[in-house]
This record gives sequence, C-alpha cells and structure tokens, in this order.
Amino acid sequence: MSDNPILRVRDVRKTYGGVEVLKGVSFDLERGQSKIVIGPSGTGKSTLLRCINLLSPPDSGSVILDGVTVEERGINQIRAQIGFVFQEFNLFTHLRVLDNVRLAQRNVLGRSKREATKRALEELERVGLSDKLEAYPAELSGGQKQRASIARALAMDPKLILFDEPTSALDPELTGEVVQVMKDLANAGMTMLVVSHEMGFAKAAADEVIFMEGGVIVEQGPPSTLFTCPEHARTSQFLRMITHEHEEG
Amino acid sequence: MDFIEFGMTWMPFLLEGVGVTLGLWAVAMVLGFCLALLLVWGRVYGSKPIYLVATTYVEVFRGTPMLVQLFFIYLGLPEIGIVLDPFSAAALAIGLNTAAYQAEYFRGAIQSLPSGQMVAARAMGMSRFQALRDIILPQAGRRVIPQWSNEAVVELKYTSIAYAIGLTELTARAEQVGYQTFQFLEAFTLVAIIYLVLTGIVAQSLDLLERKTRIPGLTYTGGKME
Repeated sequence: MSDNPILRVRDVRKTYGGVEVLKGVSFDLERGQSKIVIGPSGTGKSTLLRCINLLSPPDSGSVILDGVTVEERGINQIRAQIGFVFQEFNLFTHLRVLDNVRLAQRNVLGRSKREATKRALEELERVGLSDKLEAYPAELSGGQKQRASIARALAMDPKLILFDEPTSALDPELTGEVVQVMKDLANAGMTMLVVSHEMGFAKAAADEVIFMEGGVIVEQGPPSTLFTCPEHARTSQFLRMITHEHEEG
Repeated sequence: MDFIEFGMTWMPFLLEGVGVTLGLWAVAMVLGFCLALLLVWGRVYGSKPIYLVATTYVEVFRGTPMLVQLFFIYLGLPEIGIVLDPFSAAALAIGLNTAAYQAEYFRGAIQSLPSGQMVAARAMGMSRFQALRDIILPQAGRRVIPQWSNEAVVELKYTSIAYAIGLTELTARAEQVGYQTFQFLEAFTLVAIIYLVLTGIVAQSLDLLERKTRIPGLTYTGGKME
C-alpha cells in the first residue's frame, strides 16, 4: 500500500428506499492496479461503482481521486477522468462508432477534431474495430459494442476505468473477445475496478479480488490466495457456487 | 367538363387564399415549435413549479376547443386593451394550441429513449445541457418526425377556423365563390382538392425527411425504442 493511491474510498454508505445497500465500504486502488469485485447479486457492487463517480451520490463517506475529493462541485471534470463501461454498453445510438469515440473528447475535453480523431483511431485499433468506424451501434454484435464502448472510455485518457458487469449482457460465445481486451488493458498497466464474475479475467489479470456481501467487503486479497484458501466460509461457499455454475454452463 | 371549366375560372382566385393559409400555418407552426421546446423542458426537466406551469398550460390548451381559444384572443382580449388583427390573432391561437400538442409529442419521444443514453453522457463528464444538445435532441428529434408530421397536417387543416373571425383564407374564398356562382358543390370540391394536395405535400416531405435522417436502431416503433 502506497501513501498515494489513485483512488481512495472511505466508509461509503448508501441507502435506497429504506434499504442500506452499502454499509461502509473502504478500499484503495493503486496506480496500474486492477481489482475485481465479486459477490452475490444485490450486494451493492454496481452501486459502489456509481458512488465513485457520483452517478449515485453516497449518503456519507468519501471518495478521493488522485488526491482530490470527489464532490458535486466540478463533478464533470472529475467524471472525465474516470472511464465507465456499462453492462448495457450505452453507445450513443445516433452516432457512428468513430463519432461515439470522438464526441466527449470534443465537447468535454475540448480537443480539436484532428486530435480527437487520432486518439479515436488508436483506441479503436487497440480493441480491433478499425474496420467498423462507419458502423452504427445497432449494426454491431454485442461483443463489438462493448469493445467500442471500452475504446470510447480509453480515448478520454482516464486515470482509471470502472467496469460494471461488462460481459453480463453478452452471449457466452462473445464474452471471450471482451475479456481478452480487458486482460490486455490490465497487462498494459491500466488502472481498473471491475465488477464481474468472469473468473478468466479474475485469475489471469486481476491483482486483487474483493468479495462483497450484504453491503460490506467480506475479504480481499490476491486471486491466488483468495481463490485457493479464503479466510471466510461465506467466500468459499460463494466461490464454490460460481465455479459450479460455470462448469454447468 | 363543366367542373374543369369552373376550376380554370376560379382557381386563380382560390390560390390567392392558399398564400394566406400557408402563411398562417407556417407562422403558427414555428411559434408552436419554439414554445413546445420550452414546455417540454419544463415538463421533463423543470423544477416542481415550472413543471406545474407547463403541465397546466398543456392541459388547458388540449382541453378546450381551438375555436374558443381563437374567440378568447380575438374578441376577448380587446376588453383588456389587446387588439390584434385577424391574421395575428389566428396565428397566435393556432400557435399556442399546437405548442401544447407538439410538447407532448416531444416529451413522448424523449421519454422513449433508454435512460442509459443520458447516464452514459453524464458519466463521461458532459453537462446536462451538452447531453441534451448532442445526445437527447438528435435522437428524440428523429423519433418525433412521424407524429410531428401528423400534427403539421392537422394544423394545416385547422387554419380554416380563421374564417370565423373574417380572415379571407382558402375556405373563406371558397365560400365567396359559392355565393357568386351558386355552385357550392363545385366550389367546395375544388377547395377540398387544394387542401388534399397541400396536406399531401407536407406529409410526403416530412416522410422523405424521416427516411433521409433514419439511423439503424432509432426508428419509430410506436413504443419503446429497441
């Protein structure tokens, strides 16, 4: 643990309709680190991601990005530094792939068209979509949509990227291409916080695994430790369940 | 054959009324469009008081006859010192009325867009204004064309209510032709044909616009967007 993590989350709490979804969550994310958050559904994993960039502001606690407290004032500038990849992709329906990757570079970062195009082409090549620049989102497969949305996040040169179940809306045969892109990113030193049950990604590319249940972090540690000899019974129970599901599926 | 001769004789006189009718319609539609944008802002994104004002407006103008609204403006407002000529009064009445309907169509189009579009834009750091301008309006604008086209055609026909306050537009001229010739059947057949051609041109033009601006995944389906 360094004294200067890129992201510091402290005692974040969030209540939705009388139910406390997050009951005080704290963790750090170091530069270049990738952490994966696993846990049963309804455990507050996605809410945690949305609390970090205030899409869903926490009731209490603090989020500090690179030394700066994340708050409503100046939130747009902070969000521009945090990539967000959605389960449902959320590519802009009316824009071709290239323009999807260019738009926020222009209107948020104020880049010139030339510069935005250059960055867009680089990131689209990185995710293997150089041949789909002129396609509309509706003309892409699910895997291509998600890769385009990753390129859209990357082109903003974010300090970290949050992934909210990036493969959950995909057909099983399309998850591989997205997981591969994510592994490459992690290996290239991108800072990532990933909510997902992709064991392939967790084992091959995650530096740490966070197991959440009931709105709290039950335990966290490197995948080698957490997957082989977890401290808590609940963790091993959950791991047995998802490995079982994967084998059946 | 008599009808063709009748048509040749009276068509120039009627076509002069077409100018008034189209002018009235164009002014009213533009006025209605601008006002509708304000109303839909109030209805979808406004604070509670603004929402209530916009909603009340929409309900009042949709819930009362346009003829009553026209008489209110042309005959009623002079009592408090606001006197308008027939053209202005009619343009204002039709414009205020269509604004309420256009606002509802815009609102429907905006609310049919998946919420993820706005969320993704905000998550990337766009302000709400930027997200509306660059994401929501271009999408909702495309989706609203079929309904807006319908409204444009309805209002083109409704311009004939200006006849009631003495504006010599197309319908009024047809009546004048009738009284001069006592051939009312021919006169109103002719004017019906003219209206049909006008509404046909408007509907076809907007249909062309809809097809030219169509984007896969954004077509109007009458309900939620896919």
